[in-house]
Amino acid sequence: MVEIRWHSRAGQGAVTGAKGLGTVVAATGKEVQAYALYGSAKRGAAMNAYNRIDDKPIINHATKMNPDYVLVIDPGLAYTDDITKNDKPATQYIITTHLPKEKLIARIPALQDKTDRVHVLDAIAISKETIGRSMPNTPMLGALMKISGMFPLDAFLESMKKVLAKFPQKIIDANMEAITRAYNEVK
Amino acid sequence: MAKKFEINEIEVWDGNYAASQALRQAQVDVVAAYPITPSTPIVEGYGSYVANGYVDGEFVMVESEHAAMSACVGAAAAGGRVATATSSQGFALMAEVLYQASGMRQPIVLTVVNRALASPLNVRGDHSDMYMGRDAGWINLDAFNAQEAYDLTLCAFRIGEHLDVRLPVMVHQDGFTTSHKAQKVNPLQDEAAYKFVGDYVPVDEMLDFTRAVTHGAQTEEDWHFEHKAKQHKALMDSRTVIEEIFADFKALTGREYKRVETYLLDDAEVAIVALGSSVETARLAAEELRKDEGIKAGVIAPRVFRPFPFDLIRDVIDGSPLKAIAAMDKSAPGGAMGALFNEISAAAYTTQNRPLITNFIYGLGGRDFSVEEAKRILKEQKAHADAGHITTPIQQFSGLRGPKLGFFETKRS
Amino acid sequence: MSQNVPGTAKRGIRELGAETKVGWDEVTQGVVLDSFAEPVKDVAHIRPEDRDYSDFNSYTATVASWRVLKPVYNSDICIDCQNCWVWCPDTSIISRDKQMLGIDYDHCKGCGVCVEVCPTNPKSLLMFDTNEDLDVALSQWPEKKKKEQ
Repeated sequence: MVEIRWHSRAGQGAVTGAKGLGTVVAATGKEVQAYALYGSAKRGAAMNAYNRIDDKPIINHATKMNPDYVLVIDPGLAYTDDITKNDKPATQYIITTHLPKEKLIARIPALQDKTDRVHVLDAIAISKETIGRSMPNTPMLGALMKISGMFPLDAFLESMKKVLAKFPQKIIDANMEAITRAYNEVK
Repeated sequence: MAKKFEINEIEVWDGNYAASQALRQAQVDVVAAYPITPSTPIVEGYGSYVANGYVDGEFVMVESEHAAMSACVGAAAAGGRVATATSSQGFALMAEVLYQASGMRQPIVLTVVNRALASPLNVRGDHSDMYMGRDAGWINLDAFNAQEAYDLTLCAFRIGEHLDVRLPVMVHQDGFTTSHKAQKVNPLQDEAAYKFVGDYVPVDEMLDFTRAVTHGAQTEEDWHFEHKAKQHKALMDSRTVIEEIFADFKALTGREYKRVETYLLDDAEVAIVALGSSVETARLAAEELRKDEGIKAGVIAPRVFRPFPFDLIRDVIDGSPLKAIAAMDKSAPGGAMGALFNEISAAAYTTQNRPLITNFIYGLGGRDFSVEEAKRILKEQKAHADAGHITTPIQQFSGLRGPKLGFFETKRS
Repeated sequence: MSQNVPGTAKRGIRELGAETKVGWDEVTQGVVLDSFAEPVKDVAHIRPEDRDYSDFNSYTATVASWRVLKPVYNSDICIDCQNCWVWCPDTSIISRDKQMLGIDYDHCKGCGVCVEVCPTNPKSLLMFDTNEDLDVALSQWPEKKKKEQ
């Protein structure tokens, strides 16, 4: 079982990202869950989305998880959210930030002893430069592929094309570029 | 003629989307709705299928849920296949008309995305709306995940519209936990789904101008009782039809449903009885307890909440070595024991086995139900079983902050 | 005799509530009641007295016994304005081709609305004791009220 927790703001596409990942993973025959807690929250409110991935049917419906990966797609939430909640000794963190990794870690006490498990990229900048607006969900998936090794980049890009099939070609191409850049730029 | 919708063999759907696809595939004639969180995407989905030509039907926007169900009753009496969705406060506002729908024997399908009732205002899932409607004379099916929300919605049309039944059917799923959780779903293709549901067969329809009929007549003490008795019998007798249709569905899909689902029960000494997505979480707890601690734990889950499977609950209890059961109620009991506890206890009282039964109020307003908590509850049942009597208050609260809250004690074995 | 209401074999043939009481196993599903004994065609264009109403249609029942006072109709004064026909809550004013014919005493409950809304002077409808003979009632009809000076 792999568990992933997204820290996001409503409107940044964490739910879409989690569902997109779920669709890609399900196509390989694995079982998935993609869910989120929201409802009365408005755009901009802090929220969590979640993924569970396993080889057998997933019957745990508890919201709480001990994440293997924590994906922070809003820079501010790295400071204000409890991003290390319920984590494990091996939990990997992927955080979007404009700061170098050392500077970011220096500002977040909870990450001090996890330096080698913290990875950073500027998913906001990547999405602005490729997709044309702040939509850090797909670049974060690219970074996750690099850090987790879940799928080779090419295979993941092909799968994501199908997930995004309802969008115009221009948007699909921009997302492919965003994923690729994130894959290469995450540190 | 409606357009065919492209569906893959494996989809990643949440419970809401799954239910909306089932409404489309059943080619529902009329959906009258007043959308409410967390069930909004079901009727929103149907509306978009109508707008895009994927279903040949009418979406009727109304000014309240009372009006929504009223319009559904009217459309059903006119002779159409009718469905809608609601949750919580919307369900409460529908309550009056729910009784009209069942008394008038209209096979409306209501997909209920379970959500807490205010106050305090809350959009998250618990079963207070389901419990509120349990005496409304509807068949109540309960889905534990997105796949089941899809499957049971298709079955609901078959069951309710069966000529021996003709009763409205609710299909419950947990707000957010099921409705907003995408999981793998194996849907049927449109043709196969519609073939399973079948053409709608109207009964006493008002649009038959060769046979004018009165619907919704008034009766006083001279007729009312007989009509309610006939209605109750139809609901009780629907048990066999439900089983037949579940069997047909299994033949088509390989997916098996029973009026009472049981897991790991054959040799179980302790069990949790629950509804909704908690059933699956409890299964995981039972599996882990068996593996890690050797406790023979199992799970009992009424798939059909109404008509209540009194018969099968008794069979299940007498067919296993159960010594202690925790009945889990996800609804504030309002000054009584939880409804599931009462109904399970009543069934158990007429068994030879008569296990010890305690009641847990849990999960109100979407409070998380973890595998650890399910295990703790099962282990507590093991302690009752070993002691030969209930060692805690009979009613307790699970997952509540503050001092332990519980009511009533007994040493009776 | 001011009554010229079309007669029928089926109207008001039983007291409301006097129908045969059957058990739960024989009542209709969903309290659905047939309006007519046999299938009908274009029934909107058939006059009530010519329709084959079922035993459970209120047309075949009478509520005459509910009445304490009854309206009596005076055709000499009536101007056929149809006001009473519009207002009667029990469709008990019988009118044909805008001609007021009289009152359906099987379904009139004696509420008096028709008298209230009658615009003529004197009124063309007045309330009398329900046992009063119609001719006697008509012989007691008041004179036209003079305008006050």
